[in-house]
Amino acid sequence: MKSLRRDISSNPQAANVTSKVFVRSTKSGKVQKIVRELYLRQDIPCSSKLCSLCPSIAPADANGNIAPFVLSDRPAGTKAFPRGHYLVPDTNALLNGMDLFEHTGAFYDVVILQTVLEELRNQSLPLYNRLLSLIKTDEKRFYLFFNEFRMETHVRRGHEESINDRNDRAVRTVASWYGEHLRESAAKKGKKEKTVPAIVVITDDKGNLRKAKEENVTALSLSDYVAGLEDSEKLLDMISEAREARDSKGVRGELFYPEYYSMSKMMTGLRAGNLHQGVFNVSPYNYLEGSVKVPSFDKPLLILGRDNSNRAIAGDVVVIEVLPQNQWKSPSTKIMDEEAVTRNDNPESEEAEAVVTDRERKALQDEVKKAHSNRAEGKPQPTAHVVGVIKRGWRQYVGHVDSGSTGSQASSGRRQQTVFLLPMDKRVPKIRVRTRQANELLGQRILVTIDAWDRDSRYPTGHFIRSLGELETKGAETEALLLEYDVQYKPFPKSVLDCLPAEGHDWKVPVSKEDKGWKGRRDLRDLIVCSIDPPGCQDIDDALHARLLPNGNFEVGVHIADVSHFVKPNNSMDLEASVRGTTVYLVDKRIDMLPHLLGTDLCSLKPYVERYAFSVIWELTPNGEILSSDFTKSVIRSREAFSYEQAQLRIDDPSQKDELTESMRHLLHFSKIFKQKRYDAGALNLASPEVRIEAGDEAGDPLTDVKTKAMLATNSLVEEFMLLANISVATKIFESFSQTALLRRHATPPPQNFEDLINQLSKKRNMELDVSSSGALANSLDRCVDPKNPFFNTLVRILATRCMTSAEYFCAGAHAEPEFRHYGLASPIYTHFTSPIRRYADLLVHRQLSSAIGYEGEDGHAVADGVSTRGKLEDICRNINFRHRNAQFAGRASIEYYVGQALKARGEKMAAGGDNTGVDEEGYVMRVFENGVVVFVPRFGIEGVVRLEDFVLPGESSVYSVAERRELALHRTTEFDNEEYTLRVEEKGHPEKERGVTVELFQRVQVNVSSVKEQGRGAGKRRVRILITGSTDK
Amino acid sequence: MSNQRQASSASQTPHLSPAELSYLYTSLSLPGSPIRPDGRSPTQFRPLTAETNILPGTNGSARIGFADGTQAIVGVKAEVERTTLSADTLDAREFDPNHDRESQEGSAAVSGHGSWVQMSIEIPGFRDDDALPVFLSEMMRESLVGSVGADESGMAGGLKGRLVINKRWHWRLYIDVLLLSQPLSYPLPLLSLTTHLALLSTKLPKLKSQGEEDPFFDDDWAVAEYLYPRSSSTLKKSPSQHVRPPVTLLVISVGDNVIFDPNREEIAVADAVLAISVTRGEGGGLKLLSIRTIDPPSRLTQPGIPNSENVNMLGATPAEENALTQATGEEEVSGVWRPRRGGVKRSVVANMVRTVLKKGGVGEEVLEGLEGVEVV
Repeated sequence: MKSLRRDISSNPQAANVTSKVFVRSTKSGKVQKIVRELYLRQDIPCSSKLCSLCPSIAPADANGNIAPFVLSDRPAGTKAFPRGHYLVPDTNALLNGMDLFEHTGAFYDVVILQTVLEELRNQSLPLYNRLLSLIKTDEKRFYLFFNEFRMETHVRRGHEESINDRNDRAVRTVASWYGEHLRESAAKKGKKEKTVPAIVVITDDKGNLRKAKEENVTALSLSDYVAGLEDSEKLLDMISEAREARDSKGVRGELFYPEYYSMSKMMTGLRAGNLHQGVFNVSPYNYLEGSVKVPSFDKPLLILGRDNSNRAIAGDVVVIEVLPQNQWKSPSTKIMDEEAVTRNDNPESEEAEAVVTDRERKALQDEVKKAHSNRAEGKPQPTAHVVGVIKRGWRQYVGHVDSGSTGSQASSGRRQQTVFLLPMDKRVPKIRVRTRQANELLGQRILVTIDAWDRDSRYPTGHFIRSLGELETKGAETEALLLEYDVQYKPFPKSVLDCLPAEGHDWKVPVSKEDKGWKGRRDLRDLIVCSIDPPGCQDIDDALHARLLPNGNFEVGVHIADVSHFVKPNNSMDLEASVRGTTVYLVDKRIDMLPHLLGTDLCSLKPYVERYAFSVIWELTPNGEILSSDFTKSVIRSREAFSYEQAQLRIDDPSQKDELTESMRHLLHFSKIFKQKRYDAGALNLASPEVRIEAGDEAGDPLTDVKTKAMLATNSLVEEFMLLANISVATKIFESFSQTALLRRHATPPPQNFEDLINQLSKKRNMELDVSSSGALANSLDRCVDPKNPFFNTLVRILATRCMTSAEYFCAGAHAEPEFRHYGLASPIYTHFTSPIRRYADLLVHRQLSSAIGYEGEDGHAVADGVSTRGKLEDICRNINFRHRNAQFAGRASIEYYVGQALKARGEKMAAGGDNTGVDEEGYVMRVFENGVVVFVPRFGIEGVVRLEDFVLPGESSVYSVAERRELALHRTTEFDNEEYTLRVEEKGHPEKERGVTVELFQRVQVNVSSVKEQGRGAGKRRVRILITGSTDK
Repeated sequence: MSNQRQASSASQTPHLSPAELSYLYTSLSLPGSPIRPDGRSPTQFRPLTAETNILPGTNGSARIGFADGTQAIVGVKAEVERTTLSADTLDAREFDPNHDRESQEGSAAVSGHGSWVQMSIEIPGFRDDDALPVFLSEMMRESLVGSVGADESGMAGGLKGRLVINKRWHWRLYIDVLLLSQPLSYPLPLLSLTTHLALLSTKLPKLKSQGEEDPFFDDDWAVAEYLYPRSSSTLKKSPSQHVRPPVTLLVISVGDNVIFDPNREEIAVADAVLAISVTRGEGGGLKLLSIRTIDPPSRLTQPGIPNSENVNMLGATPAEENALTQATGEEEVSGVWRPRRGGVKRSVVANMVRTVLKKGGVGEEVLEGLEGVEVV
């Protein structure tokens, strides 16, 4: 028998075609062999401005334009490469040093290979996205070279060659091709070889470095390359520690944490329902207590201790396994602060290190005892442990270096040492960072990222990214806040500003009604429209009018800034706005969603000028029944812009009889009717601890700027009409877009969320909370009054609000219609329409509404684009929900910071006069722990933890420094009653009963609020300290 | 139509005259040294060209072309499937709760199941439910799943056992056989050889999960593992030690002669047609898997008419002799074709099997020849 095989090499075309083969596992469990054919080409340019060959062959687009070449003709040189150089990093270099590549001081003219980009995507999606945005920016000159498609640089995988080896070979092949290619082109131009820049491969793989040497390709490891740059010390700190940590430790080191399950084991478990997946959350009061909410159970599962949380960090998507029942525990009743418990850890030494230190272990033991002692009430709850991490939620963290951890070597100069970084976010453990600049970093706000958390390390390892500036300076702290809440605060790029109208501030509503801008617009300039906003408001979203119709009914109109006229779908301004999602308001800063020109001028419904608007007009009977509603694009001219107070004064002034005032009186009248109707329907009056900071004059007491928000009738006037407009619009767009309407819902909270609060209320106040419906809840909240304590009701409302889920944007198709309900507003359907300048959701709703009413836009074709694809809308919803929440957090944190600073300023002033640097205020106990309480101070809208040492016992001087007070804690004992929610603090061994203090839940207490510099922990971190000086009621 | 039905027995019978049939038969049945129309020796195969992995999208594939122009392509696809227990195992468990669950699931899940290999054959001019393709595919599938290999080479339980991933999951193999040309001769040897090659080149993605976990595979195709594992080359084992998919050979007997790889004309005059499936057994020897007899088409041929009975020749031969032969109907007239009747002699069958199985025999030659095809 003879057999022959066809010889492929005889086919001259065969070299141009190759294929890529891989195995794909689908979600349904199918396994497919995928074959992709690759057709190699020779017209992919090198994109170097030095090259004279490529411009002639580079492919042109339909208009005959060639993509501009990226790599500079005068690349920067270093000591080692005086003629300049192009960089060709491999995947690991990018994984370890992405922060370096983003650094503006170095790393220009980089060739990113397609091979590398794809490999990076498989390994880390966030890094991949960062690299993509790097490639997109022009400044850094990153060029994505499609090496796999170019014939000369395509590398066929050899027999028994691993993928990594093949990819490394691809990198080397590209590097040598670039060198050759540029030399060839230089030769053609008749230049000497000297002008050709060096091609430098950056790789940390030792085998790759060796082979590169053999093949005459210049290759350097990342750290070697960086060492040759200026400012190398700072840059070296930015290399990821992940690999190094793995390499150096290797065999040594005891493994502190259990190993994660294999992916397939987790998947099997998840499918079978033995394991559960959820997001890991950490209690803000106890860093050792985590919880994971999983779909299978109503209540979150507890994760107690470091062993069980097994290297998970708040925000990670983890897989957990429920522990056997004998390990169930009741949730912690103790405040535990990582900083306090683990203060003396030494970051350098690892030998003595254990996952659970004795101190931690002791703290946990107490917990267990407790769980066992009062079995009746504090029922043990199911606990679980983390067996794997599906997706790390790691981001960049802001924090400061723990001065204690720099240790004795601090003086020993520029040696590399390991320090602990304490993140601002208490839920994140300390991060071990290796740095050569420990001394400079002390007292600075710095940004770090976590690289790895190996089984043999008690804390995660990370690396330094950059310093934001001195602690407590306004700039550093504000930036820290923005970074921590992921707020985009960079100025708008040019591409966004290019989308603004060319006229700039001179833009006007066209005079001639023939103009295309008037198409489809109603002329409402005759209406007596006015706007009512907080004082100093620049971005006026909404204006109102009301007038009596000849038939005795009323016409009421809400006019909203027509932002969708200026922001066209899918241009870069729209994309930027959709990423930002919302405007973020900080105390002294506003981070806009839209460029200044639009937000505060062209869109803003400023008084006395004509502006485009989107109007909702109702006809109402004098009793407030809605006869008809009408939606139209319009042109209005606002007669006046009032602040709430001005408007209130004008309405209250009987001498004012003009049309405008009358109009406002009508509005007020209707708003009261609507409000009553809403409450009758079961709307909740919720409360959140809000204060307002009014920047006053520098000289005065800064604390006077802190004001609780006053509710005027005019506030609720505007609010009612906005709600009405939102509901009307929601109904309208849902009619037109039953699947894609962008709506807002507030899910009915599950009753078990309220369990604790109901318990506490019935125990302490003998009050009942009926949570069967929002109406019932509203009524029972109304009954929660303590005549002696007017604030009590607000306190209960704040606590009740925390039991609820947060409202969210969603796409109509994502839920069944009954699920659309807005629980808090007791409305069957709701959306956001009235603030398009500051919220992206409203802008989308504007587009949907204009499409629903058949508005065709000035150029004739409808703007239905982007309002009808559900997948895209759902992505947007996810993003704006996230941004919305973060904006709120950032705003609150900003206020908290401001209050702290104000207290500090006051403290400094007072310190000259006396010892008492604090402010005496009233506070309310919100939560009772075994070793402290949480107190809410309404005056400043802040809540704070009061630890043992911060109780001022009767007969004791309240003026101790922080250090002195800390000593006190050791001499104190507590009696904690879990069922009665009381805590008695006494001095150890003191027989007199009077020397003790008892506090209980909901109690009103006298507190002394001050801002203190933390001592011992160094680094000048500041916290608001609350001292309980006495109780008022009871 | 009748032509096609006829073909289902062995192959389309060529339209040969009784005289031609008789001539063929005589030359093939020459004692000791038959003369074949194409001059081959009795055990010689027709030259063929073979290549593997011609279909990139499949897990394994092969093409074989005979010199007479017949060509076949085989593609093998594998799919992961959940193992469902048969109804009776479930019932048994219900009735007997104390019974060890492991052993219950064990039987089918560990040893594999024949239905996990599916084979379909497409022959031009035939519907897929015609007798020939159905018969052929069943014949080849049966020897495939029936062969239980030697366990030392990691193929415990043969192909069926190899398809088991764990107790809850298994591979399902789809073997698609496509005959590209008209079936000039009975296509069984061609299809069997091609299937053999395709299976040799078949790879399954490498399993990353362990034990009873849901299967999870390496996405690198280059590390995929052969369905029929190769022993590592460093051990220098002779190729005969591997477990191999079976091959089915077509053997005919004419008179006392045994002839391999018959062409169409040769089949037309065969006394018996046998399909013999063999594979490598333990210790490298050959193992007989199955023998199937195939209805020889010679039974359906028209008999020749001796001159004595021929009306046209009436005057040429004496009349008395005619009467004699007609009466008995038994007499063989030399040079006159008579359709074969009755069975085959035991000794002939034994000879056929021996020729296939003996060391250095035809079976070994074929298997070695196929291994010579570079499987890439």
